[in-house]
Amino acid sequence: MPLPKRLGSIVSLPLARRDQGWGDESPDFWAIHAISHPPHRGANTRPHGKETTQMAFLLRRLAFYLAAFLAAATINFFLPRLMPGDPIEMMFASAGSELSLENLNALKLTFGFVDAPLGQQYLTYLQSVFTGDLGRSIKYFPLPVTDLLGRALIWTVGLVGIATLVSFALGTFMGVMAAWRRGTKFDSIVSLSAIFSSSVPAVVVSLLVLFVFGYQLGWFPNGYAADPMLDPSFSWPYISGVIYHGTLPMLTLVIVLTGGFAVTMRNNMINLLGEDYIVMGRAKGLSDSRVMLWYAARNALLPTVSSFAIALGTVLGGSLVTEVVFNYPGLGNTLYQAILARDYPVIQGQLLIMTGAMLVANFGVDLSYVLLDPRLKKA
Amino acid sequence: MSLSKQLLNNKKALFGLAILVLVILIAVFAPLLTEYSPVKRVGRPHQAPSWEYWMGTTRLGHDVFSRLVYGARVSLAVGFGAGLLITVIGTILGIIAGYKGGVVDEVINFFTNMVLVVPNLPLLLVLAAFIGQASPLVIAVILGFTSWAWGVRVTRSETMSIRQRDFVKSAEMLGEPGWRIMAFEIFPNLISIVGINFIGSVIFAVITEATLEFLGLGDPNTVSWGIMLYNAQNSSALSVGAWWDLLAPCVALAVLGLGLALINFAIDEIANPRLRTGGMLGRWTRMVRLGEGKV
Repeated sequence: MPLPKRLGSIVSLPLARRDQGWGDESPDFWAIHAISHPPHRGANTRPHGKETTQMAFLLRRLAFYLAAFLAAATINFFLPRLMPGDPIEMMFASAGSELSLENLNALKLTFGFVDAPLGQQYLTYLQSVFTGDLGRSIKYFPLPVTDLLGRALIWTVGLVGIATLVSFALGTFMGVMAAWRRGTKFDSIVSLSAIFSSSVPAVVVSLLVLFVFGYQLGWFPNGYAADPMLDPSFSWPYISGVIYHGTLPMLTLVIVLTGGFAVTMRNNMINLLGEDYIVMGRAKGLSDSRVMLWYAARNALLPTVSSFAIALGTVLGGSLVTEVVFNYPGLGNTLYQAILARDYPVIQGQLLIMTGAMLVANFGVDLSYVLLDPRLKKA
Repeated sequence: MSLSKQLLNNKKALFGLAILVLVILIAVFAPLLTEYSPVKRVGRPHQAPSWEYWMGTTRLGHDVFSRLVYGARVSLAVGFGAGLLITVIGTILGIIAGYKGGVVDEVINFFTNMVLVVPNLPLLLVLAAFIGQASPLVIAVILGFTSWAWGVRVTRSETMSIRQRDFVKSAEMLGEPGWRIMAFEIFPNLISIVGINFIGSVIFAVITEATLEFLGLGDPNTVSWGIMLYNAQNSSALSVGAWWDLLAPCVALAVLGLGLALINFAIDEIANPRLRTGGMLGRWTRMVRLGEGKV
């Protein structure tokens, strides 16, 4: 959410979620009914066929993702054409006169700049996108955009993946504890630090972390992802270098992300703690930890999973900036270099690759829903 | 009790409002606070903070403090401008989708979901890169038109539950036109959600503007916190030891973000009493705990 989220919000995760019970308008409901019918006038329009429910759900989601990816490609296609001036001139101007005519023509073909009506240009562009041809980087000509970004993506996925898992676990745990002890000092401290961490821009956090641990204390290196003197290999010196260089960017992302997860989980939990089955659990004399973890936390987790997918946009955004600050060779830094050089094929390519990554992650969440949500299970 | 009165009784809200008011006052009275122009060379490059230059100078010899106080204007203007745009679009679309239902809702909902899954920052990067050196106004406008989806989702789901209530039904029976019901029956009941959406969008806009400018997509001649970060990063302020150049905008952004987030959290607590940490409910919880014999 832009929230965040705004970045997102940046607002990382939504602070306000009144709709997170098991009612008809809970986010899981949103996920299930993204393109089917919403429950107007209180009608329950959930899919009925038990055998086909799961498949139908996943197929509908796939169709939606295809449409979303198409939308991103369409933006890429029309944007240079909508700008004042000659789009071809604009897209490839940063190359100067270095590009040979032959190479330039190949690039033009990839981006649909052919002597044909707009519709046909659009189809030409879509054809190159869906065959995996995103053009070539102008700054690093003739390196294909997919190669350049693919190489960078590995570092980003590693960084973002681990940081997200760590902060999800940490934030969820803190949220559960804060909700269970709501009104105590512990709750206030968790809530306040969560608010703080989710409202401070990732740029600021990374710069502060770099300043304190990189420059003032000098505990960690100020850039790069590995020891530049070593060749990549599966040896301990190299891998320890990767961990050593990755610590500060990782720390930054964990600081930025944990707060959002903690607030969401805390608010979900608190809303659930008033439910009858919680009271029932306590009345039965179950231990505190059993009620807290197996009765409340387990159910509060489900809406969190769906906000997880939305939060991913923010996570990717945060990692872009963090990588720039730490000079980390991931997507963010590659992109930063491309922006400075106005390397448009790369800038356009990253939108498609990031959108693709978001869609894959969303689909993963859909799959986990099929496993987690009993309403989608076969009878 | 009205929302504004409750806000004034909430400690988090008061603290947040105090920060916000302070930043607004600094922005408004910037010329009175500093004798230096934010765009003129007033000293030698990279001078440490001193009596003469409270927060030191940049590599170009600009006074950091005067850039900071003038920069507050841009951050606030972009934040509140884009925040307003995001909230207006989100609220209108959300109420229409939630109230009208049917095809209208399906169309709005489809586009909302689509905007939600296309990652926001990468999209903004592409837009800003093609626009060239985006001025704060341009940044505010593109933020407004790309970031409304979250607001639609929240407003829509809340509208859908409100439209089931009796007072909406009776207004319909009385033959009130649809726009009137949406504007005068439903909207007033959404105030806390709209408020949260607005403040959240302001935070988002402030952060994103700074981020886009830091990444080199802003107009380098602007005096704003994002451009300060960009210049500091480009002149390697940290590695030459000019920490003040970088830390000043960092702290400013963090403080403004914190103030806004506190207000947002307070509205959320007021709208949803179960979330409150202290006050009445905390006392009540403690009493219950006391009764249960586990303090």
